[in-house]
Amino acid sequence: MEILVKIIGIAIITTVAVLIIKQLKPELAVVVGLAGSIIIVIIIVNMLGSVFNIFDGIVERTGVDKELFVVVLKIIGIGYLTEFSANLCLDAGVNSMADKIMLAGKVVIMLMALPIINNLLEIVYGLMV
Amino acid sequence: MGIEIILKIAGIGILIAVVNQVLKYTGKEELTTFTTLAGVAIVLLMVLDLVSELFSSVSSLFNLY
Repeated sequence: MEILVKIIGIAIITTVAVLIIKQLKPELAVVVGLAGSIIIVIIIVNMLGSVFNIFDGIVERTGVDKELFVVVLKIIGIGYLTEFSANLCLDAGVNSMADKIMLAGKVVIMLMALPIINNLLEIVYGLMV
Repeated sequence: MGIEIILKIAGIGILIAVVNQVLKYTGKEELTTFTTLAGVAIVLLMVLDLVSELFSSVSSLFNLY
């Protein structure tokens, strides 16, 4: 609970700092926003560590092969990083760059998902034949 | 892991603004671009290690590396 309060405090301080700096030095406002969001994300990522350990345990017990879960985790990570940086560019007002990052993220996720799709199709062919 | 980095960057921003004002009044108008560049460079270097820490923690969590 107190972590949430800490994160809210950091967010408010970052917002105020960004607004103040926006008048004085607009280009620095983006960097202040970046620093604040990175600190919050690092705190959240540290909290998430334990959750994924529990998921690993569950996946092993269900007998699904670990490879699929690893790929799903990777896709979640890539999706999150893409969304983080795209929002950052949107904050800075450079919308075209945000779209490029989103496109790149989608392509990378697609490339990672291809093996899974192949497995699925092979299973389906196996059933039909 | 706290707000000191944010306040440090905000402080540098305010410092640059003040220095530019002083330079403007003393007539050295052309130096303002260099002080602004220096300030932005310092701030980016400070944020650089934050970004690397972010990417290492995220990639270790989602084992993306």
